[in-house]
Amino acid sequence: MSDLIQLFVNGLALGSVYALAAIGFVIVYSATGVVNFASGQFVMFGTFAGVSMLLDAGLPWAVGYLAVFVVMAVFGAGFFACLYLPLRKSPVATMIIGTVAIGILMQNVALLAFGSWPFRLPSPLDGLSVHMFGAVISAHALMVVAVTALLVGLLWFLLHRTPVGIGMRAVAQDMRAARLMGLEVNRLLALSWILAALLAGLAGLLLGPMWFADVNMGDPIALKAFAASIIGGFGSLPGAIAGGIFVGLTEVLGASYISSAYKDLIAFGIMILFLLVRPQGLFGERIQDRG
Amino acid sequence: MKLLQACGVTKVYGGLQALTDVDLTVMPGESVAVIGPNGAGKSTFLNVLTGLTPPTTGRVLFDGTDVTKLATHKRVRLGIGRTFQHGRLFSRMSVLENVMTAAETCRRGGDGAPRETAMRVLERMGLAAQAAEAVGSLSYGQRRMVEMCRVLAGKPRVLLLDEPAAGLNSGEVEQLVERLAALREEHSVAVVLIEHNMGMVMRFAERILVLNFGSTIAEGTPEEIQSDPAVLTAYLGEGYSHADL
Amino acid sequence: MATRRSPLLLAAAILAVGLALSVVLSEYNLRLLNLSVITAIAVIGFNFAFGLAGLISLGHAAFVGMSAYTVAILTTATGWSPWAAIPMAVAGTVLFSALIGYPLLRLKGHYLALATLGLNVSFFIITANWLSLTGGTNGIPGIPQLRLHGYFISGERYFLRFGLVFLAAVAAAALAFQRSRHGRAMIAARDDEIAAAMSGIDVTRVRVAAFALSAACAAVAGALFAEHVRFIAPEDFGYVHSITYLAMLIVGGEGSVVGAILGAVLLTFLPEWLRFLGNAYLAFFAAMMLAILIFLPRGLVSLFRRRAPRRIAEGRS
Repeated sequence: MSDLIQLFVNGLALGSVYALAAIGFVIVYSATGVVNFASGQFVMFGTFAGVSMLLDAGLPWAVGYLAVFVVMAVFGAGFFACLYLPLRKSPVATMIIGTVAIGILMQNVALLAFGSWPFRLPSPLDGLSVHMFGAVISAHALMVVAVTALLVGLLWFLLHRTPVGIGMRAVAQDMRAARLMGLEVNRLLALSWILAALLAGLAGLLLGPMWFADVNMGDPIALKAFAASIIGGFGSLPGAIAGGIFVGLTEVLGASYISSAYKDLIAFGIMILFLLVRPQGLFGERIQDRG
Repeated sequence: MKLLQACGVTKVYGGLQALTDVDLTVMPGESVAVIGPNGAGKSTFLNVLTGLTPPTTGRVLFDGTDVTKLATHKRVRLGIGRTFQHGRLFSRMSVLENVMTAAETCRRGGDGAPRETAMRVLERMGLAAQAAEAVGSLSYGQRRMVEMCRVLAGKPRVLLLDEPAAGLNSGEVEQLVERLAALREEHSVAVVLIEHNMGMVMRFAERILVLNFGSTIAEGTPEEIQSDPAVLTAYLGEGYSHADL
Repeated sequence: MATRRSPLLLAAAILAVGLALSVVLSEYNLRLLNLSVITAIAVIGFNFAFGLAGLISLGHAAFVGMSAYTVAILTTATGWSPWAAIPMAVAGTVLFSALIGYPLLRLKGHYLALATLGLNVSFFIITANWLSLTGGTNGIPGIPQLRLHGYFISGERYFLRFGLVFLAAVAAAALAFQRSRHGRAMIAARDDEIAAAMSGIDVTRVRVAAFALSAACAAVAGALFAEHVRFIAPEDFGYVHSITYLAMLIVGGEGSVVGAILGAVLLTFLPEWLRFLGNAYLAFFAAMMLAILIFLPRGLVSLFRRRAPRRIAEGRS
């Protein structure tokens, strides 16, 4: 029983990180229609921005985290300007290859800057743990879940209660209509990329202490984020959260109770099943294809 | 002998009644026009006849057999041809290749090679000179003619035309009417026409079906329809009561 | 001009250029050329699915791998002759692709892309973990060589000549197919699904056929790959390779057989030519890919085809 609780919390924490990555992915997809194959590398950049600010530069926690967010925001804006704008009218497949190329570029720039040796990103709660129902649970895992929950709340507030967020949703629903209503569509699109980069940065900071940070960590995260968004429903924010947590839990619980070798097969098997039987996922859009 | 028959076709989208109990019978070589205000369900009706949209209830019969559940491409091969409101062409093919696609799938015994069939149709419709051109380089009127050629290359026995005169100049409309009349005469092809150009409808159609809000409000010869009060109400609105709709 | 080239001319050109290169190139470059030839066959196959029928499949490498593993397992564990194992592998792969094609191809666009990507990842997980059948991550070594008239097809030079025959045959057949009514039906189904159905084309069947044909070429490539390197492991068929096939086709020019070959050869050699950049070569490679996507969106073949950039060269008859 205590094992189960421990696994459950770990799965929830991992799932929260996947959910953050999936939310970033979904925000970009619904606003711009781009399936971002570099979304895993976005998270990796977040982790390594953390490595350079906290380990290399030795900044204090608050300043270091803030610096990471600044870096990620700048990065998101740069991505919008250098990749999205020139390629925005290309077919879906070209966009896929474009984001893949960017992902390879990011991964190798990180390789040049940091080398292939893995790092361990510290957490402010390192070494602390909580005893619950006879189980020992790392304080960091609990923080990940709490921070994610808080962030989802904030995000909801941003998208539903602020003019900027409502504008972003309008752009996501109908770009032409939004433009006709006088919204500055490009600025809102840029904001979606920035928001996605910020979420990825946070996911990277939270994931770093749970995994070893290495420049190749992007692809596995992106694959899990894809699976999460398909299961939850492509383009749906609640779906991304539910899907992310589902994938995290299956990964951790599946590894201990079913087979550690096939733990990822469960998530992808369920993803394919969803695509075939219920392509709109748990909460998603009804249309099979908008690209 | 009836060629195409729709019996009690009803289509409901969510809560919206797009078609209610629509009947239509088309005899070989006959020309029928389906008219009605925008949103009356005319295109939906053609979609049901061609199998692009399954009806909620009702049946479609072609040549005496029930085709309600038959896939679109199979209906096409039986002899139901259709054009679209804005013309749909294969953008990566030449004019000739566009027309050949239908000639290839709808070959029947005794037909020549698809390429010859396609060329013959293009010659007949006056597009032979453009055969090798990319469809992107054509004018709007020519594009719609290419679509018509592609349908004709499939040797249809009934031709469903969705606003064929839209966007054509009066000379082109004139030509179109002549060519359709010739087709009916020579091959006894039946034509079902959705059209807003009343001049063309009155000259071309032997029978007219009027739809409004998805229901048949009148059916008859052009003379009968022109004097039908329900039709006037549907088209003109003001000054007439809506109670009888 | 590329637009009028007949299938036989294309085959002759491939053989002539390939044979000339087989005489002059060094052993190392010959090895790369062999890999390009095998990859080109896979990319020509991918062109059926993506270039003609518009199916964004990111699981193509799984078909290559399925065939390679079938050859490897049949020849090592059960002692079949490679000549018997290869047709078996191709037939099995095609059958599998058609079976999964029916449910899978109802999906479109990026849904299909992600479903096939999931398929490729699943294939990797299974091959990496099913130790008794695939040897796991250690792979399967010692795949027996092909024998022709009692002689082994050994050495890069001889294998190249052998592989070129396959490439020439596949390329010529693909070009002829593309110009046939079946090829036209695929292009029609991609250009406008509804108009295609209204032209009497069975869109579902055409899509499954395109998918199965693409898998057939992938299977030929996979069997050749197993016979060339004679040692296969799961990472040879990871989803990254599927994305590479897509990249090759887009860089070469989608919808074109010549483009598929150009893309496969260029993207196989390019990393080697960039070796002098050391660790930076992949970053440079990715930046170059981006530049091609932005400045040459219709691929390398569009360089030779300025007059009618909107048309598909080989779609013409």
